[in-house]
Amino acid sequence: MTVAVSAWRQVRGRVDQQADFGAGHRWLELRVTAELEPPDPGQFIQLLIPSHASGAFLPRPMSVASVRPLRDGLMLGFLYVPIGVGTHALAALPAGAEVEALGPLGRGFPLDRPGTPVLVAGGRGVAPLLFAAESLARLGRRFELLFGARDRAHLVGLDEARRRVAGRGRLHLSTDDGSAGIKGTVVEALDRLSPRPDHPMVIHACGPHAMLAAVARWAAERRVTAWVAMESVMACGTGVCRGCPLARSARGRAAFGSQPPSLLGNRDYAMCCTEGPVFDSRDLDWERIE
Amino acid sequence: MRAPSRKSREPKVDLSVRIGPMELRNPVLTASGTFGYGDEYAHVVPLPSLGGVITKTVTLEPRAGNPPQRIAETAGGMLNTIGLENVGLLRFRSEKLPRLRSLGAVIVASIGGETPGELERLLGALGGEPGIAGFEINFSCPNIARGGARYWAVPRRLERTLARLRPLTRGAILAKLSPDVTSVGDLAIACEQGGADAVTAVNTFVGMALDLARRSSKLSRATGGLSGPAIKPLALQRCCEAARAVRIPVIGSGGILSGLDALEFMAVGAAAVQVGTASFIRPRAALQVLEEMEAFLRERGVRRIDDWRGSAMPSGDAVDEDPGRKPGLRAVTIVRADRSPRNRRGVRSPAFSRGRESRRA
Repeated sequence: MTVAVSAWRQVRGRVDQQADFGAGHRWLELRVTAELEPPDPGQFIQLLIPSHASGAFLPRPMSVASVRPLRDGLMLGFLYVPIGVGTHALAALPAGAEVEALGPLGRGFPLDRPGTPVLVAGGRGVAPLLFAAESLARLGRRFELLFGARDRAHLVGLDEARRRVAGRGRLHLSTDDGSAGIKGTVVEALDRLSPRPDHPMVIHACGPHAMLAAVARWAAERRVTAWVAMESVMACGTGVCRGCPLARSARGRAAFGSQPPSLLGNRDYAMCCTEGPVFDSRDLDWERIE
Repeated sequence: MRAPSRKSREPKVDLSVRIGPMELRNPVLTASGTFGYGDEYAHVVPLPSLGGVITKTVTLEPRAGNPPQRIAETAGGMLNTIGLENVGLLRFRSEKLPRLRSLGAVIVASIGGETPGELERLLGALGGEPGIAGFEINFSCPNIARGGARYWAVPRRLERTLARLRPLTRGAILAKLSPDVTSVGDLAIACEQGGADAVTAVNTFVGMALDLARRSSKLSRATGGLSGPAIKPLALQRCCEAARAVRIPVIGSGGILSGLDALEFMAVGAAAVQVGTASFIRPRAALQVLEEMEAFLRERGVRRIDDWRGSAMPSGDAVDEDPGRKPGLRAVTIVRADRSPRNRRGVRSPAFSRGRESRRA
């Protein structure tokens, strides 16, 4: 009842092209029909691979890395790593193969908040932030993009990141081994961007949960707002199955307190698919998140 | 999909079915817990076109559900341990029900309780609500610490509980059964004798999946309920067993993805079917099942779904049954003596008739 009328649809998609993207990553361009509304940065799509082409039963939630309008639909870009049965099956699909796409799902990054957007990407978590950077650039907003990985080879999508920050912001690289940018984590890169009272920053982050927990801690200590894109195992992606709960913090419970339980979640748990995947980092109980 | 020009001249298939006091326009219902409270998918599925919408199980108090992980994909299916997360009776009645009524759905409310008394209170509160065609009693949740599938898998408990619930509503009462029992037929008989209008066979199968790196369950609890096409052959057998055991309608459920899957359940005696996990993958799955079912029957010249129902019921010597059944289960013998689909519809068991009379009194 508290959720606005759902806008998602399940539509036919066709693989336009897929390419290796380095360090085991893949870039998928998927052509979808016009009934699918254009997603916002941080929103995700459930990709359903035909059963004859996959041992996976459930669709796979994928954040969108790029959106390009076509005359009769959209071209969606996805950056992923083949890890399990679903993503391996996806990686094996040739151009022209059919994939059903359900979306756009969830709530994306609130890029309109006042303050300098600081995009913090860990590894392939860069995917939705490439899209966010593109949107910010189109709006003419200045932003910072911090991109970290274990080594230079794993800064996948670095060229895309460079293109998107060109003229609009700064790119700050960090690697665990120092092979690109500073030697250290994205949090250490954050340290170098000390917040100034006259120029408040708003963090938008995506990466492994351990990284997001560190970003959340960093932000909390400095009273900076951090929006984090979370991951979860999911079945439906639409809030119906209740399969992707994330534990709320005391603040999160208080913020939710007066609302009735809904598709978004209940007082104890937020659903990653509907209330998220992007959360205010203070609203989650990081002790109870794996 | 189908060429409307030629097909539309062919006679429509009569898909209507009767489940106790409910007249359903077709036998395809949504399974509880896989279609929310009905309105979540309403923008892609016109609800009145379905046989019915079975809502997420509601309990007296709201439940927050189990901690994550609640879901694990398995070969051809998924395990879940949601733990009956729901909004609770009050909100269901004040918020969900009016919305669902306004969408024109045939509403079957699923209720769950840890004790017979809780179920009585729930049905007492909802039994007279306008717009609820029936109630499905969730006697088979595998994911709660108390009042789950194990607790309810006792024939006498089921029978006595249903006998207490029967007078509380004029709507249909469906009893949803667990497959993880020695004989789903015995439980179905107990439900029939307790006054249920139908049984649903079956809920999820208890299963496990391990994370070897951590050497622990992939789920937050040791076990979960397995659903999806992986369970279809198992569910089909349970459904068949239940349908052979009782005269009240049996609603088949378990791994139905397509119209052909649904027709298998109906061929072994199911009066209706539920589409569950399929809706997670394709929100329009129940509609697709319905369309495929109708197209298949039309192509074969089957005019009424009733003529299909039970058409592949195995004969007595083809199934493994205990020849020394206890006297309390005699009803089975009566049914077996006369189990052609046509007669199965016409005759009601004494226990069933009694239940109906006492309700009207």
